[in-house]
Amino acid sequence: MSWAQAILLARGLSRGWGGICSTALTGAPFSQVTPQAPRGLHCSTAAHQPDSPLVPRPPEPQRGLVKALAPHEELFRQAPDGVRDKASFVQAVQNFTQYNVHKRGHVDFIYLALRKMREYGVERDLAIYNLLLDIFPKEVFRPRNIFHSIFLHYPRQQECGIAVLEQMENHGVMPNKETEFLLTQIFGRKSYPMLKFVRMKLWFTRFKNINPFPVPRDLPQDPVDLARLALRHMEPDLSARVTVYQMPLSKDSTDATDPTEPHIIGIQSPDQQAALAHHDPAHPIFVEGPFSLWLRDKCVYYHILRADLLPPEEREVEEIPEEWNLYYPMQLDLAYGRSSWDDYEFNIDEVEEGPVFAICMAGAHDQATLAKWIQGLQETNPTLARIPVVFRLSPSSGELLASSSGLEEPPLTPPEGREEEENNQQRQQQSQS
Amino acid sequence: MSGCGLFLRSAAAARLGRARVAFTASRRPLRTSPPSQAFAKELFLGKIEKKEVFPFPEVSQDELNEINQFVGPVEKFFTEEVDSQKIDREGKIPNETLEKLKSLGLFGMQVPEEYGGLGLSNTMYARLGEIISLDCSIAVTLAAHQAIGLKGIILAGSEEQKARYLPKLASGEHVAAFCLTEPASGSDAASIRTRATLSEDKKHYVLNGSKVWITNGGLASVFTVFAKTEVVDSNGSVKDKVTAFIVERDFGGITSGKPEDKLGIRGSNTCEVHFENTRVPVENVLGEVGGGFKVAMNILNSGRFSMGSAVAGMLKKLIEMTAEYACTRKQFNRNLSEFGLIQEKFALMAQKAYVMESMAYLTAGMLDQPGFPDCSIEAAMVKVFSSEAAWQCVSEALQVLGGSGYMRDYPYERILRDSRILLIFEGTNEILRMYIALTGLQHAGRILTARVKQLKQGNVTTIMETVSQRVRDSLGRTVDLGLTGKLGAVHPSMEDSAHKLEQNVHDFSRTVETLLLRFGKTIVEEQLVLKRVANILINLYGMTAVLSRASRSIRVGLQNHDHEVLLANIFCTEAYYQNLFALSQLDKYSPENLDELIKKVSQQVLEKRAYVCAHPLDRTA
Repeated sequence: MSWAQAILLARGLSRGWGGICSTALTGAPFSQVTPQAPRGLHCSTAAHQPDSPLVPRPPEPQRGLVKALAPHEELFRQAPDGVRDKASFVQAVQNFTQYNVHKRGHVDFIYLALRKMREYGVERDLAIYNLLLDIFPKEVFRPRNIFHSIFLHYPRQQECGIAVLEQMENHGVMPNKETEFLLTQIFGRKSYPMLKFVRMKLWFTRFKNINPFPVPRDLPQDPVDLARLALRHMEPDLSARVTVYQMPLSKDSTDATDPTEPHIIGIQSPDQQAALAHHDPAHPIFVEGPFSLWLRDKCVYYHILRADLLPPEEREVEEIPEEWNLYYPMQLDLAYGRSSWDDYEFNIDEVEEGPVFAICMAGAHDQATLAKWIQGLQETNPTLARIPVVFRLSPSSGELLASSSGLEEPPLTPPEGREEEENNQQRQQQSQS
Repeated sequence: MSGCGLFLRSAAAARLGRARVAFTASRRPLRTSPPSQAFAKELFLGKIEKKEVFPFPEVSQDELNEINQFVGPVEKFFTEEVDSQKIDREGKIPNETLEKLKSLGLFGMQVPEEYGGLGLSNTMYARLGEIISLDCSIAVTLAAHQAIGLKGIILAGSEEQKARYLPKLASGEHVAAFCLTEPASGSDAASIRTRATLSEDKKHYVLNGSKVWITNGGLASVFTVFAKTEVVDSNGSVKDKVTAFIVERDFGGITSGKPEDKLGIRGSNTCEVHFENTRVPVENVLGEVGGGFKVAMNILNSGRFSMGSAVAGMLKKLIEMTAEYACTRKQFNRNLSEFGLIQEKFALMAQKAYVMESMAYLTAGMLDQPGFPDCSIEAAMVKVFSSEAAWQCVSEALQVLGGSGYMRDYPYERILRDSRILLIFEGTNEILRMYIALTGLQHAGRILTARVKQLKQGNVTTIMETVSQRVRDSLGRTVDLGLTGKLGAVHPSMEDSAHKLEQNVHDFSRTVETLLLRFGKTIVEEQLVLKRVANILINLYGMTAVLSRASRSIRVGLQNHDHEVLLANIFCTEAYYQNLFALSQLDKYSPENLDELIKKVSQQVLEKRAYVCAHPLDRTA
């Protein structure tokens, strides 16, 4: 590492610590740390690429991995028939420490173990991360004097430690006291891994519940349950009812490619039901979709039943009936309204959209399946029988082709200006969900 | 007819009837002044209509004697023969008790004499209510019968209808019920589902639908039913409008459900009533076809004032019972009555009872003035104040009693259960607060229209006037609305309290003006603002009532009038500071006003439909 880079790094580190110390002293929110602080860390990793990840890739390029065996790979191949679980992973790590008393090549081994964690299904296990950190020899990399801490002391090892923390971060694993203890033992208090640790401690708690619409960590495997979850996730009205219009034919046919009896699950709220009941049968309503919805790493597709917005001249003006409330007047007979300095309404340009009457998720996205949904809806919405329903199914939407190819029927009447319409729908969906 | 009706009654009732005829003849000519503006509405404009409330309404000596003679037997009956505990436990008023009530004439207290009722004035009705309320189940049964059940016939019925139904209702031979509430319709008249359709021969209406929570639904043989009918408008369009009907049980097709199991007033009969193709003759339409909304509103508005005296009667009894306990129960070698925290509770009960009594009789007196004055705001205020005071006082009384208050062997827990309904029925207190505030604001808004418009248009003189007014107010000008001083209406011993009232009224009118200027007609949506307006008004009315009553007591020289002065001064001071706080909350950007935060909290809770906060033991890591 060149001198210039080292100096840069050192400045970044001192700024980072300075930022933390100053916030700790003044009690100001942590976000006020000078924006240069993280940039200092960037410098350490890859030469000033703004989008590069915080932690470097392991020294050996990943593509090379497939061909050339990484060192210590054999430790993870000891049980080819055996199950890959936490116990075998721990065994592998212990084998390394026993076999290699001097811990030669421990950085490489840790990088390798980090990559293997997913295969063993331990990527969310805090104990395993602590175990990996425990591989580092203690006290060796701790800075002994001020110059050690100004200039990056054992950079490769520190970066490796950061990589462990980074992977924890990516999987949402919160470090604990033991992690802290290990890090102080290995790298000391004034080190990059410790900085990372402090930041994780600070921000994890704040970000953990930042999503007001949390998705459970383990999604249900059953597509029916998954659809139920997704529909509930999209529908803001808590009194909406989920209806299973059709269960998949056989229990094991969980894939969406079973053409005969795919699952159909819909959701409708009482308000939507009332709106549909008031819909003028002269105007058609549309089944549109599929639109995609991501739940963690799963993508599901849904369809909506919607109508166009009524032109302004046809809308019924909602008026307060004269004899409505038996107890108190619902409106005052006064000639003046709210004064402008008490009107806190922002001037918002609202794009009005047509009503959405119901949402459904089905195992197949063809018209026949969706027609069954409409049939099912007719039971609770008798007016639907009199309203013409137009199916406007788009043949593809992103990954859809890959997941259920061949099932898509071309829409009956591909309307012109489809793309524009689709864009509108997408926008509408975004605002709906 | 009148003689026939009275024939069945006890001697006391007959005496009362005779005396009352003489009294009405003598009383009416005394009050010849035209009905002036209702008192409460004028408070919104910063005026105290002294004529209306000073002096405190009195009854003549004759009337008083007669009512006392009548009250005696009723009170004796209620204390000696009515077993409230049994009524509560069995969920039914025994037949012999009902018979006795009928023979006392209590089923026709406000039915005019020519139809066989007692024809009591509102004041006397309130006085009797004090005693009847010793058993809440009976009070509710009687109120459902005559305050709402048959009130429609008195208020809106034709001569034939009155002659046909009132005598039997007054004698108690028939019991009446008021059928308005439906599963989907509480105060919302538009969602009434019960429907009456005119038959082919146009002689009958066919009534279909269900009503819920009908008091006396199982006992009644005459129902006042509200149903939707098709009405042809003046411009030819057909509209659904509410119409009131008098329906006899004998018309057929009427079934009542099983009595509801209730928290309190368990002796009263509450059940569902179903109408299935009930044929109602067209003569039984109450009022006009399509005019049922007004009928319902008038009935509901007319019956509320009596709750004040009823609760006061109940509270007076409760104070006696609790004081007995507090003065005999010993702890640490001292009676409970010697502890300050216990004493405080009695002061509270006495004060509340005094205020509500004053408000109730002041309102009753106003209502008894000729010319059918509209006192619906006042009546609503009495209802709100008395029901809330009842709940508070009964709860405090239970606190004094400690464990024995909680036991079923004692009557206290029953009183607590019974008094809870007061805040709910006859229009919930929330709804009545809206009524109180909005009706007053409507009145004030109309009168201030010109002024508000000038202010909004930036008329320089009006603005300057307003500004200088406000500056003068803020410099601490004392307000004098003429309650005190030489020839003042209020006795000098309550001069301070009177000044407080004047100050409050003045500030209130300023605030009302500002509110109207700020919100205009959209104030309907500002329910938290309206609640405060109503609370202030209730306090103002209470202050006026106690000042008026205590002043009269001093001047007439009633027994213990110094005690009344104490109570009046306590209430006025408390209410004054409450009002000041509420008024400051009504200011724009007032630091006391947490409405925005409160709205946010409730919005988030209701969005989740659950308590939002994480558990205190939860961790993020």
